[in-house]
Amino acid sequence: MSDIKLVNVTKQYDGQPLPAVDGVTLDIAAGELVVFVGPSGCGKTTTMKMINRLIEPTSGRILLGGTDVMSIEPNELRRHIGYVIQQIGLFPHMTISENIQLVPGLLGWDKTRSRRRADELLELVGLDPVAYRDRYPRQLSGGQQQRVGVARALAADPPVMLMDEPFGATDPITRERLQNEFLRLQAELRKTIVFVTHDFDEAVKLGDRIAVLEERSRIAQYDTPERILATPADDYVASFAGSATAIKRLALIPAERLPGKPLNVANGLPTLDKGGSARDVLDLMIRWGTAQVAVDGGKAVDFETICGLLGDDHGR
Amino acid sequence: MAVDTLSGAFGGATRKSRSYNLGTPLVLAAALVLLYLWLSTQQLDSMEARVLSAASIRDATLAHLTLTAISTSIVVVIAIPIGVLLTRPFARWLTPWVMAVANVGQAAPALGVLVLLSILFGIGTKIAIVTLVFHATLPVLRNTIAGIQQVDSALLEAGRGMGMSRRQILRRLELPLAVPVVMAGLRTTIVICVGIATVATFINAGGLGDIVVAGIKLQRTSILVTGGVLTAVIALGLDWLAGLAEKYVRPQGI
Ligand SMILES: Nc1ncnc2c1ncn2[C@@H]1O[C@H](COP(=O)(O)OP(=O)(O)OP(=O)(O)O)[C@@H](O)[C@H]1O
Ligand SMILES: [Mg+2]
Repeated sequence: MSDIKLVNVTKQYDGQPLPAVDGVTLDIAAGELVVFVGPSGCGKTTTMKMINRLIEPTSGRILLGGTDVMSIEPNELRRHIGYVIQQIGLFPHMTISENIQLVPGLLGWDKTRSRRRADELLELVGLDPVAYRDRYPRQLSGGQQQRVGVARALAADPPVMLMDEPFGATDPITRERLQNEFLRLQAELRKTIVFVTHDFDEAVKLGDRIAVLEERSRIAQYDTPERILATPADDYVASFAGSATAIKRLALIPAERLPGKPLNVANGLPTLDKGGSARDVLDLMIRWGTAQVAVDGGKAVDFETICGLLGDDHGR
Repeated sequence: MAVDTLSGAFGGATRKSRSYNLGTPLVLAAALVLLYLWLSTQQLDSMEARVLSAASIRDATLAHLTLTAISTSIVVVIAIPIGVLLTRPFARWLTPWVMAVANVGQAAPALGVLVLLSILFGIGTKIAIVTLVFHATLPVLRNTIAGIQQVDSALLEAGRGMGMSRRQILRRLELPLAVPVVMAGLRTTIVICVGIATVATFINAGGLGDIVVAGIKLQRTSILVTGGVLTAVIALGLDWLAGLAEKYVRPQGI
């Protein structure tokens, strides 16, 4: 329904020798979170902004739920696509609540309904409505502002969200927390999301699929994080994926899904907290110098299990 | 462009409290009291007594305030819409031309313009107001343009990306965020009006210029000083009031 199709989309800025986006074709399924990842200036933002017509493509077609976006009135289109810009862009003269109520207001919701919605969304992104709704953006920290930016984009419950480095300007710890909360949200909301970042690890962590982009937004590989890590299409993707890709793949495997032996209660093994991954299991083993780790839920995971997880491609 | 007024406006933006600055009115009141005390120690002759009578001073002050108020209002009504217009994409090419005219307006000698206009159109209050408006339009015009242009383009893009129309972006983002800069221009305009309104006397349009010119013609220091001090007090007092108003019309949060 709210799937996105880019068909041979090209954007040539006036006065530039080469197109910024060159013949991109890409399918994004409804409810899927696709991450565009690539170096600065490769055309991620340009590609994304063509979806909500902030930038008009020079050629090619973009279909949203089967409808060509060029046939939809731009403002109407944008009111139904959540948009988080690279620089957050909260309006400084409006309170947090007013910022979030903006799109519902444009859509003609009544005041009480949009006010209630704003509170609900603040709650959802982990900010206490009573404490934050009447504050102004400058009275919030950078990380809190980014949460509000996400809440504002979610306000009218759009089926599609475009997010341009929404967690760009935060420290690693805050960033990780925002990512975790965002994943939890998305598991619940199942929006169709285009997420732009130049942080490959973030892409691996968040994406259902990742589009690794080269210059002019050409797609070097478009696949799941697991497969991009396991079988990078070429040297460019491999260099982007960086080193220790096997370890990064382990991070994608939840510890709960690991096969294990029933746990003997009194054995004093190091225990992994709930929500950890196979990588955390390995980390505990190395830290404690043990070949077995207890995983929440009452099982013991062996070192051999971890070693065998990545199947038969260890020759690479 | 407008660097002085801009920095003034942003200096103000960091002042968060809405406390009144009572220093200025106190100093102005003290100046008036001193003037009064000094005048009461002077032996005033009949001519001085006539010019410095309560009625004469009241009439001149009222006329001066009226000239200033009317001209400032006209400037606001003219300059803000034109400034807004000149920031719209379709009219942007006009900006240098209009600014050139406004610059000439501010640079031309007020008395010259006044005399020229009165030769062409006769004397009186109307022509005085035309001269004032001609001279005092630039600050508001320039700051309206600068105020809108200084709005962070990321905010406009966010607005556009959320589906706000051009008009909604102007009304709900650009104009409110430009208010502090426009207000800084308005204060400059007011002070210019108060100053230039003193030449209105030459075409019989009244104001404190009557008193100053009488002081010069009669060679009476007491009259001259009174006219000068009153003009200065009005200029500074109105500027203070406008500053106060600015605190109230400035949107919260910025
Ligand atoms: N309005 C424009 N006019 C001309 N060229 C532009 C314009 N916007 C972007 N470009 C160029 O197009 C290319 C792609 O820009 P884009 O903003 O899409 O990159 P990006 O991948 O989002 O980069 P970053 O990670 O730094 O945000 C760049 O080379 C940029 O210089
Ligand atoms: Mg970008």
